[in-house]
Amino acid sequence: MTSTRNRLYLLLALACTAGYIWLFINLPNAESSPDVCMIKHVTGIPCPSCGSTRSITSLLHGDVTGSLFWNPMGILILLIMLIAPVWITGDVLLKKQTLFSFYQQFEKTLQQRRVAIPAIALVLLNWIWNIHKGL
Amino acid sequence: MDAQKVDMFIMTNGKFFESHQIGQIRERLLVLDESKWPMIQSLPLKDPSTSLIVSILGGSMGIDRFIIGDTGIGVGKLLTCGGFGIWTIIDWFMIQGATREKNMQKLQQFLY
Repeated sequence: MTSTRNRLYLLLALACTAGYIWLFINLPNAESSPDVCMIKHVTGIPCPSCGSTRSITSLLHGDVTGSLFWNPMGILILLIMLIAPVWITGDVLLKKQTLFSFYQQFEKTLQQRRVAIPAIALVLLNWIWNIHKGL
Repeated sequence: MDAQKVDMFIMTNGKFFESHQIGQIRERLLVLDESKWPMIQSLPLKDPSTSLIVSILGGSMGIDRFIIGDTGIGVGKLLTCGGFGIWTIIDWFMIQGATREKNMQKLQQFLY
């Protein structure tokens, strides 16, 4: 059990580090469009999470409406990036696994049909909006 | 459980598990109570080849991870464009093993 916990924490920590490095590189130019998305390169249409970088950089520049316009998912990503490191550090220092149990609970909740279907619908709607915006 | 039944289970479902786990599964099934047979037979095991196809087509959106039941990691992949595309490529090679691991977890509830 502890090894799965540690693997999850390591994965989250690495993802957050990568996110912060990526953000640091892109922070100076909020409006430019960094092209790393595979779907966009292959098919030419943006993926559901295209525009998240622009969303976070505009939010950090104080432009809330711009951030919501680029991609509402960016705000979610920024929240995870802010909360996860603190939570992981706390758990590691106190030798607890509150984040891991929260993660398992979250997985269970999301697998229920009444939660999953609205979530999928929201992501699809966001995707359609993304394509419509022509990110 | 009846050796014939166990061997039949191994023959039909062997591809869903890691090869090093087969021996252990066979041993545990042989000593298992007969009453658990219907449940074990109707376990919703996932095919590793299917998840590989899904991973190649929809890996950037984390659909492969959603399908095998790794919802949390799936959300992570969805939010980050498949981990900047790097994670997508890593998962092309990892997803079959991950599927077999998930299948083993499902079976393990009944084995122990």
